[in-house]
Amino acid sequence: MNLTYTLHDFWRQVRDVANMFFIAVLPAALFVMFGVTQGWSGESSGHGNVSAYLMVSMAAYGAVDATTSIAGSAAVERLQGWGRQLAMTPMGTGGYAATKVTVAVSVAVIPVIIVYLAGLLTNSMLDDLWRWFATAGIVVASSSVFALYGLAAGLLFRSDGAVSAASGLLVVLAFLGNVFMPLSGALLDFARFTPLYGIVGLARYPITEGWVVAVDGTAEQDSVWLLLANVGVWAAIFGAIALIAARRATARR
Amino acid sequence: MNTTAPREAPAITVTDAVKSFRTRRETVRAVKGVSLRVPRGDVVALLGPNGAGKTTLLDMVLGMTDPTEGEVRVCGETPRAAVAHGKVGAVQQAGGLLGDLSVRETVTMIASLYRDHAPVAEVLERAGAAQFANRKVSRCSGGQQQRVRFALALLPRPELLVLDEPTAGMDVQSRTEFWDTMHVEAQRGLTVVFATHYLQEAEDFARRVVLMDHGMVHHDGTPDSFRSASTRQTVSFSWPGTMPLPDLPGVTHLDRAGTRVTAHTRESDRLARVLLTETPATELEISRGGLEDAFAALVNRSGEH
Repeated sequence: MNLTYTLHDFWRQVRDVANMFFIAVLPAALFVMFGVTQGWSGESSGHGNVSAYLMVSMAAYGAVDATTSIAGSAAVERLQGWGRQLAMTPMGTGGYAATKVTVAVSVAVIPVIIVYLAGLLTNSMLDDLWRWFATAGIVVASSSVFALYGLAAGLLFRSDGAVSAASGLLVVLAFLGNVFMPLSGALLDFARFTPLYGIVGLARYPITEGWVVAVDGTAEQDSVWLLLANVGVWAAIFGAIALIAARRATARR
Repeated sequence: MNTTAPREAPAITVTDAVKSFRTRRETVRAVKGVSLRVPRGDVVALLGPNGAGKTTLLDMVLGMTDPTEGEVRVCGETPRAAVAHGKVGAVQQAGGLLGDLSVRETVTMIASLYRDHAPVAEVLERAGAAQFANRKVSRCSGGQQQRVRFALALLPRPELLVLDEPTAGMDVQSRTEFWDTMHVEAQRGLTVVFATHYLQEAEDFARRVVLMDHGMVHHDGTPDSFRSASTRQTVSFSWPGTMPLPDLPGVTHLDRAGTRVTAHTRESDRLARVLLTETPATELEISRGGLEDAFAALVNRSGEH
């Protein structure tokens, strides 16, 4: 991996205003709207308060958006000629992948830092210091699953528009995945099968220990295995689609 | 296989190269048995209509694709080894740049990938991109973007430069400026191979023209030898307005506009001799067909070019 190349690529992503709006500004704004200014935000919830619960949720949304758009644009830029430019250099596919993974993870850290800072400066409370780091760590690590999602979108449709659409679709997946607001009943049952449910559930685990409280106050507990299974299955699905799309993309050459 | 590169190995050796692609319905043979030897320091134009196999041939030279049959060697090595050793620079057709980077950032990023490369400031200068180095690539004109690609190609200090239609879509002035820059590089002893649609470019810049069509080489020689492949010649002369034209020998086509007459023939010398000695014709002009004519004659597609 090459430091100069990676730093330039990182800086290129960060200064893209439109991209950064969805990755960092929107999650922070959503957090302030729902997590700070509402009456319920100070109420305790597991090993923290509601504000902290929403802080983790919004950071997860931002991180997933970051890995989706960076992995997706990586696929598109490689298919659209930049790959030919790189083919004339000693950097191979492995080096390119390592660079992009580093950039994607680095950018995924940005919404976590911003939203957590907002939480720290306002009213987010967690019982122990380690819970801050544990939730943040799980958010960044599990967001890598959505790199496969972005990669699949980029390889399948080979356009920046498709990658934007894929990251736009994350808003819908976030609602369906119980990320933004608490679901209940049949919708909550359905949510367990959607791709963001596992990631956000795992990230909140240090706060909730798997307890999901519906709008009507009823509570159910998800086992950590269910959450891991959700993440694992969706990682496999996105990975398989990306692999098939990659094979198709190279076969056309 | 011997992978060490003898110093005097030719820049490119293509031996009976065949490249076929399998599509759903059929197998397309894009290159059907091409042999080509390009010694060091040569400047070669690869001419041919769209779909002639030029890009496929150049892709094999760059190691982007492997020949189905036959062999390609670059500077005595396999194309991939030559590219990995920084012996080859390529200027690609459109695309291949990231619009949101500045010119300098683009060159710096690619430069960082080579263990040994020419200084960024130097290649920007040589490629004529130094004046707009801080501009975003997306804000550069087509000609400027081509200079950026050219700067990237110069980074590994290549011995061979491969250009695939480098001036496609440029206006006349940018094209002239681009080739002026290339002239300087060729004079440094760089081997240059370029594909082009513009016959004039081939004639102005190349020392050797290779004409491809339908995946095969149809002609390989100096621009002059290429031109003389054109069989049609034109003889024009002034003729007294009222006088009827006599029967002229070997004329295939005759145009008369006022006092000027233009005759097409395959034997211009004979016609000229008759006109000057036996008729009142004056102000004689003889011209051989241009590259376009030669091109049409050689690819047997008269009327299309």
